[in-house]
Amino acid sequence: MAAVAQAVASSKVAVGDTVIQANNLTKAFSESVVALENASFKIKKGDFVSLVGPSGCGKSTLLRLVAGLIKKTSGNLTVHGKEVTEPRADTGMMFQRPILLEWRTSVENVLLPSELLGKVTNEDKRRAMGFLEMVGLKDFEFTFPRQLSGGMQQRVALARLLQTGADILLLDEPFGALDEFTRERLNVELMRIVSQFKTTTLFVTHNIQEAIFLADQVHVMTPRPGRLAKIIDVPFARPREISLQLTPEFNKLVAEVRDVLGGDH
Amino acid sequence: MTSIASDSSNIGPAELQDTGFKRLGLHILIFIIIIGSWELAGVFNQLNDLLLPAPSKIIVKFVDLWFIKGTIWWHFFVTMFEATAGFFIGVGIGMSLAIAAVISPIFRRYISPYAIAFNVTPGIAVTPLIIAWFGFGWSSKIAMATLVCFFPPFINTLTGLLYTDEDATELFKSMRANKNQYFWKLQLPSAMPLIIAGFKIALTGALIGAVVAEFFSASEGIGILMQRTSFKLDIAGSIATLLSMSLMGLLFFSIMEVLDYKVIFWKRDARMQQISKKRKAAWRM
Repeated sequence: MAAVAQAVASSKVAVGDTVIQANNLTKAFSESVVALENASFKIKKGDFVSLVGPSGCGKSTLLRLVAGLIKKTSGNLTVHGKEVTEPRADTGMMFQRPILLEWRTSVENVLLPSELLGKVTNEDKRRAMGFLEMVGLKDFEFTFPRQLSGGMQQRVALARLLQTGADILLLDEPFGALDEFTRERLNVELMRIVSQFKTTTLFVTHNIQEAIFLADQVHVMTPRPGRLAKIIDVPFARPREISLQLTPEFNKLVAEVRDVLGGDH
Repeated sequence: MTSIASDSSNIGPAELQDTGFKRLGLHILIFIIIIGSWELAGVFNQLNDLLLPAPSKIIVKFVDLWFIKGTIWWHFFVTMFEATAGFFIGVGIGMSLAIAAVISPIFRRYISPYAIAFNVTPGIAVTPLIIAWFGFGWSSKIAMATLVCFFPPFINTLTGLLYTDEDATELFKSMRANKNQYFWKLQLPSAMPLIIAGFKIALTGALIGAVVAEFFSASEGIGILMQRTSFKLDIAGSIATLLSMSLMGLLFFSIMEVLDYKVIFWKRDARMQQISKKRKAAWRM
């Protein structure tokens, strides 16, 4: 597994350097629909950042801007010091739905990113098997998505994300469609995995507890127009235990986020 | 990781098997009642052979056509060939147009009104024109079969390719897939169930097209055989020929079912498990 870890965290950037930087970043879909307005922030290498806020606050827009899937309207956005213009090899994305190809087994789904890069090597196959084991799907490598539960499908999607070798992970409410128990367990596993690979992670959610529990930094966003209202640092060391959520310190942060979002959240 | 279990939500095949026998029994019973009373009506002279002969007479004709005189074989083959050829040409044209329309939005915009106008015109009504253009031989039958069957593969391929899952499209973009990879690895396989559904409709349509064209004017083919028998008031022979057409339709249908079963394995649990084992056995690294 060490080889796998090394393969992922193969970036030359040292922990602590700025990886993603935005200055007055704005995205408008039309004159009246401003999805994101004047967002400015810096994200350091290895950080886990949660983007939290209600629907329409621009958190998914922000994620897609960083992914290079949509173009900004104005402002600056750089990843590793370069302006983002298109999807990059060092960023990988995961969605609320697993989006597995139904006609492919788990391992074939995980191998998709390698296939898109060129010929699949034995090394790629070994990594794919390793990732599946890491996300708890040993013995399910040759199962088709329809034979897996929702949580297991999302695990395959996570393995596929790791297979991309990206050191910036963009997660758009990845466990949002799962039941509470599965979601909690997957959050703990996600934290373990990103800590191991030292990836920089942007995690979109509308669940305040989840946002704080996972992150080093919570970006609180408010809607109409989408704005980055406040950045809150989360001081607890990672990895964390679920029981952290019961402590007064944790709940103080929850209250702080709630305060920014207004009473209705 | 003992907490994750395989999703074993197969909706009781055991339960289905249990009632399977009963269902089959009921099917046979209903069939016997219908055919039996029909035959009995014949025995008691209640049937006019010029309108509706008894089942036994139809069976005698059927055996005669196929095995004693054997007249039907050539006609059967001719129609099957016409329909199959028409099917392949129709599918070829339909799918090529659809792919062109997917690649080029301009082509799509300017071709779809024609395709739709074409589809709302009753294809069968074009038969006289087709005969005028292609003559009395096989080619007019093939053209007719093509005409009747090209639309389902066209519209199904177009729809299937256009409505690729948006999230999956975004995923492929985020993984920087090129157009070819996007087409072969995502667009085409996602569209396969719809495309094959289009094939199924097309093959039945091709048979209709070929037979109708034969009715209009032909010297060989199962359609003309049916016309001859009915003109001679040989209704038993006519129905026996009709049954042979059903047989051809059934044959076509079964071929398509097999294709569907082989290609769209991921919609069927039992097939999925088979393929799963095969892929596991073939795995090398």
